[in-house]
Amino acid sequence: MAENNVTNTNTTNSIDNARKYGTKLWKKKVRKFFNNRLAVFGLLVVVIFLVLMIGAPIFTKWDPNAPNFKAKLVGPNAEHLLGTDSLGRDLFARILYGGRTSVLIAVVSSFIGSTIGTILGAIGGYFEGFIDKCLVRLQEIVSCFPQLILVLIVVAFIGPGTWNLILIFALTGWTGCFRLVRSEFIARKEETYVKVCEAFGMSNVKIMFSQILPSVLTTVIVQLTMNIPGYVMQEAGLSFLGFGVPMNTPTWGTMLNAAKASSILINNPHCWLVPGLAISLFVLAVNFFGDGLRDVMDPRQQ
Amino acid sequence: MEDKKIILDVKNLNTSFKSDGQVIKIIKDVSFQLEKGRSLAIVGESGCGKSVTVHSVTRLMAKNAIINSDHVIYRSYRNSEEPKEYRIDKMSNYGKEMRSLRGPEISMVFQDPMASLNPVYRVGDQIIEGLLEHNKSMSKKEAMEKAIDMLKKLGIPAPEQRVKDYPYQLSGGMKQRIVIAIAMINDPELIIADEPTTALDVTIQAQIMELMKKLQTDYNKSIILITHNMGLVTEMADDVIVMYMGRIVEKGSLRQIFSNPSHPYTKMLLSSVPVLGLEQGQKLTTIPGSTPNPADLKEGCEFAGRCPFCTDACLKGKIPGFEIEEGHMVRCLRCAGHKEVD
Amino acid sequence: MAKYIVRRLITMVIMVFVISLVIFIALQSTGVDPVGQMLGVDNYTKEAAEEMREKLGLNDPIIVQFFRWWGNIFKGEYGKSIALGYTVKDGLIAKWPATLEITLYALLISTVIGLLIGMLSAFWQNSIIDYLGRGIAVLGNSMPEYFFALILIQIFSIKLGLLPSAGRIPAGGGSRLPNLILPVCALAIPLCGNLMRYTRNTMLDVANQEYVKLARSKGIPEWKVYIKHIFRNSMRPVITILLFRLTILIGGSVAVETVFAWPGVGQVLTKAITASDYWVVMFYTLFMAIMMLSISFLIDLIGALLDPRVRLGK
Repeated sequence: MAENNVTNTNTTNSIDNARKYGTKLWKKKVRKFFNNRLAVFGLLVVVIFLVLMIGAPIFTKWDPNAPNFKAKLVGPNAEHLLGTDSLGRDLFARILYGGRTSVLIAVVSSFIGSTIGTILGAIGGYFEGFIDKCLVRLQEIVSCFPQLILVLIVVAFIGPGTWNLILIFALTGWTGCFRLVRSEFIARKEETYVKVCEAFGMSNVKIMFSQILPSVLTTVIVQLTMNIPGYVMQEAGLSFLGFGVPMNTPTWGTMLNAAKASSILINNPHCWLVPGLAISLFVLAVNFFGDGLRDVMDPRQQ
Repeated sequence: MEDKKIILDVKNLNTSFKSDGQVIKIIKDVSFQLEKGRSLAIVGESGCGKSVTVHSVTRLMAKNAIINSDHVIYRSYRNSEEPKEYRIDKMSNYGKEMRSLRGPEISMVFQDPMASLNPVYRVGDQIIEGLLEHNKSMSKKEAMEKAIDMLKKLGIPAPEQRVKDYPYQLSGGMKQRIVIAIAMINDPELIIADEPTTALDVTIQAQIMELMKKLQTDYNKSIILITHNMGLVTEMADDVIVMYMGRIVEKGSLRQIFSNPSHPYTKMLLSSVPVLGLEQGQKLTTIPGSTPNPADLKEGCEFAGRCPFCTDACLKGKIPGFEIEEGHMVRCLRCAGHKEVD
Repeated sequence: MAKYIVRRLITMVIMVFVISLVIFIALQSTGVDPVGQMLGVDNYTKEAAEEMREKLGLNDPIIVQFFRWWGNIFKGEYGKSIALGYTVKDGLIAKWPATLEITLYALLISTVIGLLIGMLSAFWQNSIIDYLGRGIAVLGNSMPEYFFALILIQIFSIKLGLLPSAGRIPAGGGSRLPNLILPVCALAIPLCGNLMRYTRNTMLDVANQEYVKLARSKGIPEWKVYIKHIFRNSMRPVITILLFRLTILIGGSVAVETVFAWPGVGQVLTKAITASDYWVVMFYTLFMAIMMLSISFLIDLIGALLDPRVRLGK
């Protein structure tokens, strides 16, 4: 009797364990993420940036676009935390408001690009054959276009602007995600659970999006995060050269553009150091965060 | 007792892994001896520490592993009756001494032949790599001739052509023969086979095991076979070690283990596998529960959580091993009263 | 294998053609009037413009113009800058040596150092050299190269006054080295960081493979394990990333050239884009596309040579 009781409680325990396992795994992942000091640092910095940018009017009283000719090119002080630029505009305010545009461009481009890449990659990888060949060729063609040229064409078509930049980034940026999702689909399509769904007569679209896609999604999310720093840098690069966002819109890139004037380059380094450091810190933080996220969600990817 | 030639002597081997800042004990106080010319099977469920045990002996471990032991001694009886002793526990993982043992004295056959061969080199070159390393004066041509001889011995047709093949051109069974050839080419005394047939078809499994058995008997080699296949154990092994959660729960000769299994885990393990001679109508049973996470283990018997005979005493302290007949050790309090040996 | 190469070459030609057609049509439909720019505001009359259009063949259908442009390319006439009057040959191709000068050095230096430190940090994981390499990689990844260039100028030219901050000494004008150091560093260090990280991670990945364990069980020394087995099997992905960076040889780095006022193709391109100078842009694009296609072809080819499965035609 006594022996039987022991066995029973054990069995119940293991069922409970199995039930708990789902949440336990999740908790374990969260713990693993928080054990990674760099990732936590990244998350913290990103959150601080986001809070500052979203709540910009609370944190600074200055208008990022209002020139103040009495306070041109002053260095950091109590009044102007990070100093002012050649038109006397407060740099801290410009970093916060400009960051909104920079980060918006990066996040939205990455999101649209990943979505396009995922959908096309799923189609190409799942069906293979002719459609896949066409998509792969398209992807090759797109990756052959120098981005600068595309910017020129789009700018000439519809004029410069934030959304045009997003359009270009999204149209050129889907290829990485496409390759990733496509190869995942090719591999997973052969797995038993997909074959079972096919045997049950489930429709292709349903198998693709409700069966295979969820298991690929973590990879896509990690990829999406890891793409954001790249877009921040590209926006800054193009704006630095004068081809990105119009000069009157504050972004981290247009702020860096000030360094092209040699007097500012030499005499007022704070004007370009501030946006440059903002970019570097943000990109660094997102990279750390993304690395930590990948380790937890998608350990197979290196 | 004295005239036994002990080729491998392991005393209180402990291996832990560092992971996420925690140290997790994977194998605990493992002791065993292997006689020359005999074959020892280590059995147990996946994750019970079989592989880690032999990898700790051969020191082919990841960098986050911590290996401790009273001693690990390898004795070579090659030249004279007086054995040459090697203290493996005192050697560094990839140092010169350890390397001089790997290949000419101890060699390994791994689980997955598909992954064991380097895809970018011809198999012949991979076979002679170890040979040339330990025989500096040998020419490449001589080495290749030896490799071809070895393949012939292993029953590979047209070995002159095969050595020029790349791994992808060979079937799984053929690849595993190549891996065995790599292990045999330096004529080692001890061969450690880590689940050598798990990845292969059943018919190929039989061929590979026959081959290994033949090597053992014809050349008087010693073999450690790691497996969870009880059928293989009955065919191959002289001695058996049963492991559970990193600890040896029972060890003895093949006959002792199979005719008188005494640890509840061994009994369950044996009744859960189809072996030849299963009586008609006899049912296969399953072991209730699943293996616990090594990080969560507390004191007492590791099997207590799944054991139908568990008592309060089982949950405390260290469970000793009892010798219920000569050479047959069982780590279970139900055998208390016999002589304590471990 | 030969069949495969021929097939790849044919697709490549077709792709170059398609890409150039797309860009050609796109540039033509931007609505920029080249004639207006050529005549200037002062000379502009409707008649003159019409006459010029006829003369240049701009009234022909786009397709005709496109094939005419290709025909000229084959004849060695690469076109002329509309706004600034220089020919592509003098204005763009002649600038390549300057671009090549910095990009070649940057590529060489970053490749050698990147591979070396990458390999060493895989060998001595978590050692000082590993942390150093990872630090450089993190910085190189998070700092835009032109921002890095600005900092270099600030430190070495303005604060320390050691090195010139801009320009290039023409041939025969004395030592060119001082002017080269900063731009090459600005390009090389970020490239280097990436390669280090990639080499290290790929090698660590390969180091976990079963065949590496088998190689170790043969008793061969660790350095042989690393060179013969781990590095040899990491080469394919590493070469892929190495080849991809060859594009900067042709394309140059527009941002770094701008910062250092380096008279290379990047500068020409910036001006051409600002002036909607589309023959120059067209030619640049064509070259970049050919370069990209050749590189992906090379990657497949070298990959095939390194992988017996592909090499022996499976």
